[in-house]
This record gives sequence, structure tokens and C-alpha cells, in this order.
Amino acid sequence: MTQSQFLSSDTQWPRWEVFKQDAPNRPHQAVGSVHAGDPPHALVTARNVFVRRPAAVSLWCVREDDILTATPEELATHPALLDSPGEAGTYHVGVKRTNKRSMTFVDLSGTVTADGPGDALRQAQSLHPDVLAWMVFPESAVVRTDEDPGTVESWFAPAKDKTYKQQQHYGVIGRHVGELKRAGLMPGRAASEEGA
Amino acid sequence: MTTTPTTHLTDTQTQALLLKLTVLADDEIILAHRDGEWTGHAPILEEDIALANIAQDELGHAGLYLSLAQTLGGSDPDRVAFWRGPDDYRNTRLVELPKGDWAFTMVRQFLYDTAEALWLEAATRSTYAPLAEIAAKAVREEKFHVQHTALWVERLALGTPESERRTQAALTELWPHAAQLFQPVEGEAELTAAGILPDLNAVHARWTDLVTRHLVDKCGLTLPDAPTTQPGRDTHTHHLAPLLEEMQSVARQHPDAEVW
Repeated sequence: MTQSQFLSSDTQWPRWEVFKQDAPNRPHQAVGSVHAGDPPHALVTARNVFVRRPAAVSLWCVREDDILTATPEELATHPALLDSPGEAGTYHVGVKRTNKRSMTFVDLSGTVTADGPGDALRQAQSLHPDVLAWMVFPESAVVRTDEDPGTVESWFAPAKDKTYKQQQHYGVIGRHVGELKRAGLMPGRAASEEGA
Repeated sequence: MTTTPTTHLTDTQTQALLLKLTVLADDEIILAHRDGEWTGHAPILEEDIALANIAQDELGHAGLYLSLAQTLGGSDPDRVAFWRGPDDYRNTRLVELPKGDWAFTMVRQFLYDTAEALWLEAATRSTYAPLAEIAAKAVREEKFHVQHTALWVERLALGTPESERRTQAALTELWPHAAQLFQPVEGEAELTAAGILPDLNAVHARWTDLVTRHLVDKCGLTLPDAPTTQPGRDTHTHHLAPLLEEMQSVARQHPDAEVW
């Protein structure tokens, strides 16, 4: 089911789903979305929002209107989703397999040749029967980052040098509260009672 | 330009390079602060994040310059950033002007990013290895900044009549200040002759060509005449002092902070 019907009063630019590939042999994963006015803007914005820290080698963006998603429950109550009309051609299939990790993504698992999005969804369901959700969109709807060395250098290489650090890594002004507590220097009632 | 590696700097060269590194860092710090003023106020959330990213990148470049300066005898980077007043800052007036509207911010960033990207690209060929290494690291981010800001300037210039008017107004105001980016510091000629610093005139020529193609040919904007003479980097507008006051307020309230 596309999201647009829930966002009919949305005055923002179109929403684009962002697919990030972490390494050459990994699948593209749906990591989130951006609002953008046109395809190049979507890619630049996706890079800014999703590739500052973790490593990546490629980004795809797909307009939400070009994406069909469904859960098994939705298919049970809306079987007509499998008849969703649209262009015939190559469709990408994505699946969401688990909710167990703190960050779970839709992994793109390959392509199918389909009569339209409904047919692609039907094939996705048959290929991957035991998943939490399916996603399909036509190859023609994908906008991609270039693979030339210049793009890789300026879009993706800088993030590799920036290790992601846990919050406690970053310094605070003065000393950390835990350190002060352990040293008996924490200001407040306890400290003043000790001092008294 | 010579290509012999520079392994030893004379005292004169060291002083000139220290000044150049400070000048470069000052531009980055002040522009990053102006960009940071958009945090929470940008037109959309995504651009809010993008501009904060760009600001952090520019601050990172300032950190690279000032760390190198420190190894050459300069002060601690935090002292340089937070304990100098407007009389000692050597940033261009281009970067200290108030952030204005989104068109002003994007046009300024475009003029600055293109200049920085071209300068850094040339600096990767510096005969002084520590500078070449910094440039190689920073130029990658700067090339992406250029793509981001060039895209925005194009869409604003070719967007609605209002966005076109605002973009042209920004360019008209900023263009004379941009020339200041290409003023050499004292002693720069000797460093250029030794291949330590890029030839600023050559970078300026490439920059003029690049921005003219984008702003005029692609975006249909009009370049105003730049004044032939510009005051130096020691001359500031009245906008710098309040900027520094805000930027430095926390550091100055906690002069004995142990960790930042």
C-alpha cells in the first residue's frame, strides 16, 4: 500500500525512499526517506542525511509513489493489492525479515520481471513467503549515484575516515558527572553534608 | 612552480605559512558559525541537517589548518578560535556577513565552496607534504559541498520570480566581497615560488571561469562589477564582533574547562 493516501495533506516536496549499499557485495537497504524536489536533489539530500558517518558505496532514491509495499496482514485484508496496475518490466523486490534488531531495514533481494507492481508483489510473496513485509518498485523509477571515482571520492570516501563514536566518547565541559561522584566532588546535598 | 619536496621551512616561510593557515582557518570558522545559525531554522529538515553537516566539515578543515599551524609554533587551536577578538581575526568580510535568507546563504556557500575546492585541489600538489595531506583529505568533502550548493543556486535562480530575485540580490551583494578570497597574505609570493602554496592568481582565474559558467551561463544570473581595490583581511564589518561574542561566550565563561 503506498503511503501517499495517508499524506494527502502533505505540503512538502515528494518523499523519496533512500536505499544505501554499505559495501559492494551487500544488498541495498531501505534506510529512511528524504523530501526533495527532483532526482538529483533527492540523491544529494540522501547523501547529507544518511552518509555522514557509516560507510557506503552507493545510494538509490525512489519516489514513494513508485513503491508498492504490503504486509501479510494487509494482503489478507486487501487482496486487490496483487492486481495493482502499472508498467510492465523489471521490478526490484525488497523484504523485511525481522524486527529483532534496534535498526531493521528492508533489504533488496533481487529483481523480477512483472506485468506491473501487483504482479511483482505476487512474485515477491511467492519467493519470500515468510517475511514481515514486501516492497516492489520498477527499475525505471530508480535514481542512482554515479559510480565514477570522483563521486565515490567526494560522496562516500570521507565518511570512512569518520568512525562512529558512542555518545560517552565525546568530551564534556569539566569532568564527567560519574567521575565527580566517584571522587566525592559532586555538588549538591550529599557533597555539602559531607563537607559540613 | 618547483616540485622539489620542501623538507625544511625558513623562518620567513614559517611565519608566512602560519599566517596563511590562520587566514584559511578563520574563514572556515566564521562561515561554519553562520551556517550553524540555520540549525533549527532551515527551510526543511533535510537541509537543516545538510547545512549542519557542511558547517561541521568546514570546522574540521579549520581544525586541520590550526593543528598544522600548532606544529609550526602556532598556539593551541582552541585558543586561536575562542580567545581572539575581531581585531585579530583575519577572515574575509564575505563570510562574516549575517546569514540573510536561504538564497544569500546558498550563493555565499557556492562562491566559497568553489574557491576552497579549487584552492585545495591545487594544494594537494604542495611541495610541503603536511599541507598536501591536509588538502587531499579536505578537498573530497569540498567537492561534494560544491555539488550541493551549485544545485541549490541553480534551482533558486531558475525557480520562481521571487527566488530568482532573491538569488540575484544575494549575488549582487556578495560578489564584490568574494574577490577578497584571492588576496595573498604577506610573504605568500615566496611560498608560492617554492611550490608550498598554490598560485593564487591561477586559482582565481579558474574560479572566475567556473562560477561564471554556472551563475551566468547555466543560471542566467548577472555578475556585478567587482570593485578594483578591496581593504585587507584586517578590516571587518560591524557584524563580526557580535558573532564572535556569541561563538566564544561558552569558552570565555569556562576558561578553566578541562575537557571540550
